[in-house]
Amino acid sequence: MAAMFSQNPLMNGPNYSYNDAPRVNAPEGAREHRFDPYTDNGGSTLAIAGADFSIMAGDTRLTSGYSINSRHHPKLFKIGGTTADQKDATIVLSVVGFAADGEALKERLDAICKMYRYRHGKPMSVKACAQRLSTILYQKRFFPYYAYAILGGLDEEGKGAVYSYDPVGSYEREQCRAGGAAASLIMPFLDNQVNFKNQYIPNSGEGHALQERERRPLTRNEVEILVKDAFDGAVERHIEVGDGLQMMVITANGIEEVLLPLKRD
Amino acid sequence: MTSIGTGYDLANSIFSPDGRNFQVEYAVKAVENGGTSIGIRCKDGVVLAVEKIVTSKLLKQSANKRIATVDRHLGVAFSGMIPDGRHFIDRARDEARAWRDTFKTPISTADLASRMGGYMQAYTLYQSVRPFGITAIVGGFDSTEAAPVDGEVGSGPSCGAGGKVLGKTHGGPFLYMIEPSGLYWGYYGAATGKGRQSAKAELEKLDLGGPAGPALTLEEAVKEAARIIYVAHDDSKDKEFELEMTWISGADGPTKGLHQEVPKALREEAERLAKKSLEDDEEEEPKEEKMEE
Amino acid sequence: MDHRPQAWGRPRDDVYGAYDASYLHNNGPKTATQSPIVTGTSVIAIKFKDGVVMAADNLASYGSLARFTDVKRLRPFLSTSVVGFGGDVSDMQFLDRHLKELATDEAYEHEASSTTTDEGGSGAGEGQLNAANLYKYLSKLMYRRRNDFDPLWNQILVAGLDAHAKPFLASVDLRGTTFTSPSLATGFGAMLAQPIMRRYAATEEDAARLTREEAVNVIKECMKVLFYRDARSLDRYSIAVVTKDGVELSEDEQLEKQSWAFAERIRGYGTQVV
Repeated sequence: MAAMFSQNPLMNGPNYSYNDAPRVNAPEGAREHRFDPYTDNGGSTLAIAGADFSIMAGDTRLTSGYSINSRHHPKLFKIGGTTADQKDATIVLSVVGFAADGEALKERLDAICKMYRYRHGKPMSVKACAQRLSTILYQKRFFPYYAYAILGGLDEEGKGAVYSYDPVGSYEREQCRAGGAAASLIMPFLDNQVNFKNQYIPNSGEGHALQERERRPLTRNEVEILVKDAFDGAVERHIEVGDGLQMMVITANGIEEVLLPLKRD
Repeated sequence: MTSIGTGYDLANSIFSPDGRNFQVEYAVKAVENGGTSIGIRCKDGVVLAVEKIVTSKLLKQSANKRIATVDRHLGVAFSGMIPDGRHFIDRARDEARAWRDTFKTPISTADLASRMGGYMQAYTLYQSVRPFGITAIVGGFDSTEAAPVDGEVGSGPSCGAGGKVLGKTHGGPFLYMIEPSGLYWGYYGAATGKGRQSAKAELEKLDLGGPAGPALTLEEAVKEAARIIYVAHDDSKDKEFELEMTWISGADGPTKGLHQEVPKALREEAERLAKKSLEDDEEEEPKEEKMEE
Repeated sequence: MDHRPQAWGRPRDDVYGAYDASYLHNNGPKTATQSPIVTGTSVIAIKFKDGVVMAADNLASYGSLARFTDVKRLRPFLSTSVVGFGGDVSDMQFLDRHLKELATDEAYEHEASSTTTDEGGSGAGEGQLNAANLYKYLSKLMYRRRNDFDPLWNQILVAGLDAHAKPFLASVDLRGTTFTSPSLATGFGAMLAQPIMRRYAATEEDAARLTREEAVNVIKECMKVLFYRDARSLDRYSIAVVTKDGVELSEDEQLEKQSWAFAERIRGYGTQVV
């Protein structure tokens, strides 16, 4: 980047006007690998589990640096349907981070879920799929998929299930999770609005005696509004989030997809 | 044949005392039983045609093509054992790719004929193999521009050192025929298979050689090729056959330098004319008999 | 005579000291492309109602040196698609040869599987690779090479029609990152040309209303802006229009109607001090 604006370009070899210019800071004798296989394509994702549904959401902006590469690049994928259009899929994967790894991860998981269906004659449960996804991620422990994945579906009892991952496969089932660029903006909002953290019943006592507001599962309508609000907020404060909001609602009747506009600035 | 019982015909790579390789001669017999294949080199391209004998009504019409493309600008037709022909084509495609890998340019018809001639000849040398039971006709159109280089990024100097030589022409249509012995020659017109005798007789009547080059155009050649296959076909031996025809023109011709099947409409027109000319001939013959009477 | 052939032709130990045999074997890391050498700058493309227009200038730079001025960076594929290359030129040539081989193999396959003569073997037919197929292939190739730490140092735009005969335009880079948009640009074009193109085709619906002529004009305008402001650019360029009728590629276009009047107002460079 420095060479781009510098009046004193590097004098040892061809000069480059972009930030992949060779950096001459390798220690003596060390061989520098100049190729960085990773990049961050921004964007944010969000998942909330309800009593009998799960909602997955993600913005559709794809960035590199300050550039918007695409205003419509979905981060949500239906997984494990019988056909290419995933009409009968029951599980949704969201990926955010390095888009190429996310795409590769999605295709691996989808292929594995399809194989499972062919071999066992039934779709994979979210629980099994969640464990398998962890294994896929950990298999690349020393050259990880740089992708923050969230898996959503309905569990064996029909309750909403959300599993969240780090890039090397640690995972847990949660009520809600935000991932990606604006995760740190959205997650505290979710803690408060979904898990009712820091919400107390007024006049119920002093100090430790203060009673927490009782948790209750949110309705689908409440969650949809929450998701939109979370993203509208993130768009205001994070440059890598915006353009469109893709939402998938997983219920016993299948997966509904909604596309809403977000600010494009 | 005198070879029977002498033992000299039992193995490849063994000459008989009078200097013959009987295995190769037997391979030629296999070719002589195959459907007729012909090639015509004309002014602006090459036409290949095959009399595809229909061995069963259970085979889908016009499926199982007998003429194959090698690279994009070469075509191979053959008579004889079909599996041998398939292998020959696989090898020709490998040769064409290897040539491109090395020289970054399409293989010329002559070079492919040379390589494949050498390959077939190698199958006459060893105890462990038998010769190819095919005779292959290789047609191609080598680019008339200076040879294009794969991956080249610019047009280079327009003339002078390292550039184009003004007025120099390259390439053109070429036709080769390769026999089981590995022998190959370049031809104006080539024929092989069971109808080769009458096909050759017909080819010789066409204006293909001469110092000024062939006068025949591609479209005329397509019609002649269809007619010759119909003439060479022997109704008493094989009832059903399909005519398969391909052609190759230069970059400015109908196939744009590629080896392609002759379009359906043109092929059907050529077949119609071929059938008509056969009928005309049949009508003439009884007339002559009457006159004698 | 020393009985070890390894010692033949080497400096004598007693004269020069022990020979450093580490030069004999190469156990170091696998060497791969570490940086681009000869490079092409922006490639830009925009969709319109029945196809895609793409352009790239004819310059290949060696760092800041305008090294080759007749380099065609738009490549047609099977007369159904156009591939535009930004970045390293030798990697572009490798890919070009690779795609040529792919096209040849595809033609063999197509021939073997064709059971009707209706097509008469003419040009693009059913079963042939379309732009979307080609793009998928290229993106898998690029991602695989990045996984091998031997990247092909390019950003590539692929234009043509998809399986539903709708205009198709997408990008893949050296890391295998893939995306699509009504208009796309690589390199400097992403900063300079993309905002202009987005004025005309912000959404797919906008692009579906553009006529061919409008799209070509937008691209020509963008090429002019790029020539004004991108120091590694040239006023000779290639432009391709791909529709259902095939690829029309013009490889020697000249930028027209340039106006350098704005240069008068630029201060602070060279001899101008005020």
